[in-house]
Amino acid sequence: MGGLQKKKYESGSATNYISRNKARKKLCLSLADFRRLCILKGVYPHEPKHKKKVNKGSTAQRTFYLLKDIRFLLHEPIVGKFREYKIFVRKLRKAYGDLQYPTFIDALRDVDDALSMCFLFSTFARTGKCHVQTIQLCRRLSVEWMNYIVTSRSLKKVFLSIKGIYYQAEVLGQTITWLVPYQFAHDHPTDVDYRVMATFTEFYTTLLGFVNFRLYQTLNLLYPPKVRDTHTLSAPGSELTNAYLLQSLALFHWFLCLILSFSHLHPCSQEDMEKMEARVKAQHEQDKQKKLFEGLKFFLNREVPRESLAFILRCFGAQVSWDKSLCIGSTYDAEDETITHHIVDRPNMDKQYMNRYYIQPQWVFDSVNAKMLLPVEDYFLGVTLPPHLSPFVEEKEGDYVPPEKLKLLALQRGERPVEEDEEDDEEEEEEEDDDEEEEEDDDEEAEEEAKLKEMEEKKSQGKALPVKVTPGKVKSENRHRLEQEEKAEEKRLAIMMMKKRDKYLYDKIMFGKKRHVRETNKMVAKRKALDEASKADRKKKKQKKQ
Amino acid sequence: VTIIHQASHIILLYVNMAAARRHRRVAASQPGFIPLKSDLDGKSLSIGRRKRVNKNKKKNWNKYSDINDVEEFLDDVRLQERATGGLIADKTDESLFFVDTGTKESVLEPETGKKSKPLRIDLILQPTSNVAPPKDILAHQRPNAKKERRIAQKIQKLTDMGVLPRRKRPQKVPVKEKPIISKDPDRNFYDIWSAGSPETADPYYLEQTKKKLVKRPEKMNEKPSLLPAVEVIAPGGSYNPDFLSHQALLLEAHEVEVTKLKAETKLARKLAVNKKEFATQETTFKEQIEGLVEEGEEPENETEGPEAVADADEDEAVGPTAQQEKKTEKQRKREKDERIKELQKKAARQMIDSRQQLFKLRSIETELKKREQKTKMRQIKRKTQQEAQKTLPRRLGKLKFQAPDLDVQLSDELAGSLRTLKPEGSVLKDRFKSLQKRNLIEPRERAKFKRKHKLKYVEKRDFKEIK
Repeated sequence: MGGLQKKKYESGSATNYISRNKARKKLCLSLADFRRLCILKGVYPHEPKHKKKVNKGSTAQRTFYLLKDIRFLLHEPIVGKFREYKIFVRKLRKAYGDLQYPTFIDALRDVDDALSMCFLFSTFARTGKCHVQTIQLCRRLSVEWMNYIVTSRSLKKVFLSIKGIYYQAEVLGQTITWLVPYQFAHDHPTDVDYRVMATFTEFYTTLLGFVNFRLYQTLNLLYPPKVRDTHTLSAPGSELTNAYLLQSLALFHWFLCLILSFSHLHPCSQEDMEKMEARVKAQHEQDKQKKLFEGLKFFLNREVPRESLAFILRCFGAQVSWDKSLCIGSTYDAEDETITHHIVDRPNMDKQYMNRYYIQPQWVFDSVNAKMLLPVEDYFLGVTLPPHLSPFVEEKEGDYVPPEKLKLLALQRGERPVEEDEEDDEEEEEEEDDDEEEEEDDDEEAEEEAKLKEMEEKKSQGKALPVKVTPGKVKSENRHRLEQEEKAEEKRLAIMMMKKRDKYLYDKIMFGKKRHVRETNKMVAKRKALDEASKADRKKKKQKKQ
Repeated sequence: VTIIHQASHIILLYVNMAAARRHRRVAASQPGFIPLKSDLDGKSLSIGRRKRVNKNKKKNWNKYSDINDVEEFLDDVRLQERATGGLIADKTDESLFFVDTGTKESVLEPETGKKSKPLRIDLILQPTSNVAPPKDILAHQRPNAKKERRIAQKIQKLTDMGVLPRRKRPQKVPVKEKPIISKDPDRNFYDIWSAGSPETADPYYLEQTKKKLVKRPEKMNEKPSLLPAVEVIAPGGSYNPDFLSHQALLLEAHEVEVTKLKAETKLARKLAVNKKEFATQETTFKEQIEGLVEEGEEPENETEGPEAVADADEDEAVGPTAQQEKKTEKQRKREKDERIKELQKKAARQMIDSRQQLFKLRSIETELKKREQKTKMRQIKRKTQQEAQKTLPRRLGKLKFQAPDLDVQLSDELAGSLRTLKPEGSVLKDRFKSLQKRNLIEPRERAKFKRKHKLKYVEKRDFKEIK
C-alpha cells in the first residue's frame, strides 16, 4: 500500500531549495569561507514562497539557497582544493565573475555600488584593520574613475548631504549615482561585519578595474594611466616614486589626457525634421552644460574640500589650483592676477584682490545643479547662503515647490530676479525705503476708497455726479485669453448638465485632486508666516541695537 | 687509479655478498679508503651462532641476503660526492686541512677602486656538488615543421573521410591568457568582455575533456532586489536644507520615535501590576461567603450556612426517566410512512426549485457577478501585495532586517557653512544596511562568547583572613 503513494517533501519546492548548513557541508567549506565564496560568485539566499513546505513542515527560520546555484558552485575548481584564504582567493580570481556580467552594460549597472564601496574604503585610515593594499587599490581605482569622468565630462548632478556627497554621472547611456563620504575622520561602527565588507570590496575592486579598462578604451586612453613627467613638479624630492603619487588623491591631475574629439553620433535614419531639431537642440544644451566653467580660473583656499571641488570644476572645464603647501599639483599661486574666482569658506578674508570674486563653495555645487552660472552676489563671504536644494527631487504638478527653486527656474528661463523686499540687516536704508513705499501704497488705497465712498454718497443724495461721458478706449483683446475663457464656459455648462449621480462622482474626484493643491497652499502659507516672523525678529534686534 | 679501485671494489662486493665479516674486512683493507661514517671501519662485531639456511632456493635469495653494507657504502660514496664534491680520499691535504699559525694582524687593504672581493657568503652559497643538474629534455625538443605538417595533412584526410582522430590534437584550443593574480595595487587589468571564449571548440570535445564551462543557472542572473544600489537621502538631508523639507524629515524621524515610545508604553501598561489589587485572606474569605450571609448575623453561623445550602440543592435534583417499552408494529409503520413522506416532500421540493431557478436567472446573474467581483478584488489585492513585497527586504534567516536610523540633524545642529559641517551617520554602516536591504546578505548578529564551564571565583587565603 505504501509503495505507489507519493511521499511528502520529495518533489516540488522542497527539492529546489537547500538550507545554508546543508549547502556548506556539500561544498565542504567553513561558514566564513562559504559566505566569501557566495559573495564572490554572486550567489544570494532566497526566501521561498511557502516556507513550511520547503522546511519540511517546520517553521524554524532558516536561510535557503537555490539548489541549482549550489550545484553551480560545486563546479568551482577551488572548492575541492580549498585550504587557505590566500590560495582560495587567488584561484577564485580566475572566474572574476565574467560570466556574471555577460555584457559590459550589465556591469555598468552594478558599478555604482562598487564605486561607493571603493570610495568608502579609500577614506579608511591605514591602521591595519583591513589590508593596506586594498585601501591603496581602492584609491587608485577611484582616482581612475574620477579621471574618466573628468575627461568625458559626464558629471550631471551633485548633492551635499550630511552623510556625504552624492554624485550622478551619465556614462554610455547609464545613469550612475555614487556616494563619497567626507574626508574628516570618523569612528568605525562596531556592528558592521568587516570580513563581509572586505570580501565585497575585493569583488567590487575587480569589477571596477575591468570597467575602468573598458571605459578608457572607449576614450582611446592608455590604461593604466601613467604619471606625466614632472616638469612642473617643484616640490622637494623630485624622486617621488609612483607609489607615493598613487597615494595622493591629486593624482588625477597628472594623468595623460589626450585631446578628445567628441564624436556626436547621429543615427542616419529617416526621421522627422522636428525630431532632428529637438535632438540637435538637446545636444547643444548638453554641450553648453559641459563647458559651464570653461575659461574661468579658480583658486581654492585652504579650508575648502579640495578634492571634491577640484573634481567638479575640472569636470566642467575650469582651471583649478590651490596653495602649494597643501598638496602636489598646484599650478598657480594665490597671487596670480588672472584668477576669476577665489573660493573661501571663512567669514572674512584679509587681503582681497580687485578683479576676482570671493565666493563660498556652495556656489559651485548650486551652479552645477542649475546648469548655469548663478549670480555670485548670493554667495559672497559672510552672506547667509540660500538653501542647498537637492537635484534628485523631481517635483510633480501641484507639489510644493520651495520659493528658492521657483527663483531658480525663473533664472533658468532667463527672467531677471525680481528685487525683493527682504534684504540684509546691513542695508537698513533699503528697508526704510521699502517701509515707506508700503506706507505710500496703503495711503493710495485709502484715498481711492475714500473717493468711491464720496461718489456713492453723492449718488444716494441724488446729486448730479461730476462725471462726464468720454470717448471709449479700445481694449486690445487677447485671443489666447478669450479661447481659455470660452473653454472654461463650456466646461461649466457641461458640469451643470451632468446627472446627479455623475456629478456626485465628479465632485468626489475633484475633491481628491484639490487636496494636493490645498496642502501645497498650506505649506506656502507656513513658509510665508515663518519669513514674516524672522523679519519681525530681525527688526526687533535692530531696534534693540539702536 | 682511484676509479679503477672503486670499480673493482664494487664488483668484489657484489660477488662476495655472503658474510658480513668478510665485507667489512675487505672494505677496511682497501688502501686509502677513508669512509665518512666511522662505523665502516674494520671493527668486527661479535656475531653469534647463525641459523643454517639453504641458499639454493629462489625464495631464500632475497630473504637471507644482506646487502645493507653495500648500500651503506654506496650511500656514503654518493654523500661524499654531493656534499664535498668528490671522494674525500681523492682530495689533497691542502684542501682538507690547514695549519693553524695563529691570528694574523689584519692589514686593511685599500679597496682597489672598482673591483671588490666577492663576499664569503656568496662563495659558500655557490654550488659545489659534483652532481650535474638534470637535463631538461623538453627544452631540447624542437618541433619538426615538416613532421608536424605531415601529421596535420594525414589528420585532415581522415577527417574528410569521416574518421575522427583518436587524439584530437589539432582541436586543442589555446587557453585564455591567465590573468596576473595578485593583491598588488598596481596590478593590471585586461578586457574580459572582448576575450575569445572556448565555446568555439566542439561541444562534445569540451564535454569529454571536462573543459566545458558550466552554464550559469538563469535565476542567478536576476538581481535579488529591485531597489537601486545607492538611495539618495531626502532633500531635508542637505547640509544647508530648505526649511520645509528639513521639517518634513524631522517629522519622519519624530514619527519613528513616537511609534517606539508607544510600543514601550503599551508593554509597560500591559505588564503593570497594582499591589493593592492582590488578594488577601480577608478578601478571599469574603468572596467565598458572598451572598450566603444576611446582614447582622453572627460570624459563628456563617460556617454552618454553606453546609445547609448544599443539602437543599440535593433534594431538587431531577431523577432519570423511566425505561422505554418496546415499539409496536403500528408505531414502526407510522414512522416508516413519515420517513417516506419526508423524502417525497424533499424530492418534490427539489423539482420545483430547479424549475423555479429559470425565473431566478437575474438574481443568479447578479450573485455570480458579485462573486466574480470578489475574486477579482482579491486577485488585485494579492498582486499589489506581491509587488510591495518585492521592494521590501526579504526574511532570509533568524534575524529580521532592522531598518537603519534616519540621519537627521536637529535645527540647532545645522551648519551654516561647509567648514563647520559635522557629518552625520557612517557611510560604512549605510552600505552594510543597504546590502542587507537588497537581500545580498542575511542580517546576522555578532557571535557571543559562550563559556562551556561556569567561572569559579575563589577567594585567596590571605583575603579570607581579612575580616
